[in-house]
Amino acid sequence: MSALSAQVSDAGWTRRTRADKSRAERYQTPEQRAITATVLRRAIDLGASGFALTGSTARRRRTPISDLDYHVIGKRPDVTDLPGDVDVVATSAARFRSRLIEGDDFSQWTLRFGCILHDTGPMREGVRLIVERDLWPDAQRKLDSLSVHRAEVDRLIQMGDQSAAQEQLRAMLTTAARGLLLGAEAFPLARKELPAQLERLGFEALAQALDGMIDATPQLDELEAALRVLDGTLATSSALSHA
Amino acid sequence: MSPKDKRQLAREHLEAAQGAVVDERVNDAVNALFYAAEAAVVALADQHDIDTQRHHGFKADAATELNEKGLLSEDYGPILRMLNQARKDIWYEGEEPELGGGLGDVLAEVEDLVQAAEASE
Repeated sequence: MSALSAQVSDAGWTRRTRADKSRAERYQTPEQRAITATVLRRAIDLGASGFALTGSTARRRRTPISDLDYHVIGKRPDVTDLPGDVDVVATSAARFRSRLIEGDDFSQWTLRFGCILHDTGPMREGVRLIVERDLWPDAQRKLDSLSVHRAEVDRLIQMGDQSAAQEQLRAMLTTAARGLLLGAEAFPLARKELPAQLERLGFEALAQALDGMIDATPQLDELEAALRVLDGTLATSSALSHA
Repeated sequence: MSPKDKRQLAREHLEAAQGAVVDERVNDAVNALFYAAEAAVVALADQHDIDTQRHHGFKADAATELNEKGLLSEDYGPILRMLNQARKDIWYEGEEPELGGGLGDVLAEVEDLVQAAEASE
């Protein structure tokens, strides 16, 4: 929280945004910078009050499956003509604020680790909210959503669609990892960093399973095995929290 | 177990999507439509030696290339990107998906794409 506390003042916020612009410049390739400039311009043209580069690029932890991720406070710009995988999360300023208060982790992630490239107020206000109200994302919200993920992973495995099942399971394991880390008061970083964070908390098997979903192409029986690892981890974690 | 044929997967995902649209299960429909469309594009791209790799962006680019080469009558790249964004909104952010047009329109487009992949076999 101390890093965020230092950003509440005018000088602190100026330092933060200057550092973010420099980080975004260094962490992106020229092609990525061009895409970011286009998305930013389109967002501002639509009246955006906030814009941040988020995800693995903002952490300099891109993998071969990484998107270019952005969080826009305002309307979502059209990016369907841009090359690569561009992922834009767009929320109104009011929704952004309420999501922070409700315990949404993605909104906090943007403010903690994103590269803020444009802000007329809502992002700075968000930082102030986190500091003043000592906000921490709701871990249980993440864990509660796993049953819906589970049904879809099961369906895809049954169908025999390896790549779709892997994709869905990767989303599920990522969500589980984020929930477990938040519950242990460790803020989840980029996806590629989650296995190391999980290992530090003693979730070695889940860390290995998630790593395998990012870097490898597991067979269907290996996907089922990873599901069992998740079940075991959640059962142990739940038993410990009730003890 | 050998990998399932992409055209067969496209058809099965499409049937799942049709059921979800009828039942108004929007999130299930978006996911199934996305996987149906991707499987159809990969089947066509593989047939014509167009690289799709693991990245979803390459599959959307392949859909555009298939159209440019006259192998698909429409450019399905934008609909693939829209469905990809919609499913990420659902599964990663827990948000309502934004769909260009209604779900029925998207379903009709993906039905055409899957039929085009099946016809090219």
